[in-house]
Amino acid sequence: MACACLPTTAHAAQLAKLHVTFTPDRLGAATTVEFTIQIKAPADAIPSPLTALDMSYPGNLGITTSGLGLATCTETILEYFGAEGCPADSRMGQGSALAEIPIGPAIERETAEVAIFRTPERNGQLSILFYANAPSPISAQAVLPGQLLPEPDQGHLTIEVPLIASLPGGPNVAIIRLHATLGPRGLTYYERIHNKLISYHPNGILLPDHCPHGGFPFTASLTFEDQSHTSASTTVPCTIPHRRSGRTSPVSTRAAGPRVSMPS
Amino acid sequence: MSRNPNHRGHSAAIAVLATLVAGAVWMSAVSSAARQQPTAHTAGSINGTATAHLHLVKPNGSQLDEEGPVTGALPGSMSAVVYTGKVLTGNFTIHTHGGSIYGTGRAAAHGTGRYQSFSGTLTITGGSSRYSHAHGHAGLSGTFDRRTYALLIQTTGRFSY
Repeated sequence: MACACLPTTAHAAQLAKLHVTFTPDRLGAATTVEFTIQIKAPADAIPSPLTALDMSYPGNLGITTSGLGLATCTETILEYFGAEGCPADSRMGQGSALAEIPIGPAIERETAEVAIFRTPERNGQLSILFYANAPSPISAQAVLPGQLLPEPDQGHLTIEVPLIASLPGGPNVAIIRLHATLGPRGLTYYERIHNKLISYHPNGILLPDHCPHGGFPFTASLTFEDQSHTSASTTVPCTIPHRRSGRTSPVSTRAAGPRVSMPS
Repeated sequence: MSRNPNHRGHSAAIAVLATLVAGAVWMSAVSSAARQQPTAHTAGSINGTATAHLHLVKPNGSQLDEEGPVTGALPGSMSAVVYTGKVLTGNFTIHTHGGSIYGTGRAAAHGTGRYQSFSGTLTITGGSSRYSHAHGHAGLSGTFDRRTYALLIQTTGRFSY
């Protein structure tokens, strides 16, 4: 009987869409990188739960010079105390995740707040934690371990997504949208100067002075519980200062805009 | 052509004197080496430690242009282009009174706090003026301030020129 009450969760192949922006979007500036990944299954079916994300980014983004994550937080602290238990200087970004949860014959949507923290290195790599906190209809918290792998040509942001059961015996929660920022927007750090605690905004991710040919390419590769894979790419076009008016005007927009790729 | 015996004797005396002077200079160099570090052991090599305190001149994405004073074995100033990532790599020029020294460096970064430590190797690939034939390898270590981008670089080793 219990099985009869559950909605169908036969997963079709997933599609993904990636959108990335810089704020501010100005060459040579320190910026916040904002990305949104949307996951969709054909015919309005529930997508298979996401299990891993690997997002490549241009190697000339100053991730390691961002001044983000000057302190660390741990999985244990997050599990016991939540995001409030972590040092302010360990926070590197924030966002939200939208999930579809089959409850009975209905499909509920639930939004979780996401906070991104620096954590001690794993395997000698720059490691991060995504902490997702969903209050209702099902209260759930999850810690998603990840890594930032800066390389000269192409860096990678990787996230492992644990499977979260919607209800005992039920299907796992499927993320259909992940939106996150990596950068100083909305963050306040603290430093002690002459025994006074001074607040400041971390520098941010440095953009290069010159526009790379074709803009800044990003690709998200996603792996799902049903062992399928898909990927989505986008390119952030460069904007350069408009000398006369001081405004910015886009250049090199040929490859701009999100692209959807078919699942493998 | 006959040889002048007096001339031969004069040449021998100069040779002996030159040997004595050379020996005295060598002894002076050896004793000097024992007294102080760093020291120029020979006319063509430098052995010792140099320390550079670099500050940011211009950021450019993951690349930082830095410069600052150098103290120790090669007093002067350094300018460097540093590519940041899990591994720090870069090109540098040390400017001294005797000329410039060029090279590259590669170091692995460690740590999660404001100050990241790093260690690796430095390779001297050339130079100008007195150091136009500079070459050698040295150890490289230091710290990187992730807040201000300041670099403290210490190199220890020997290079020839």
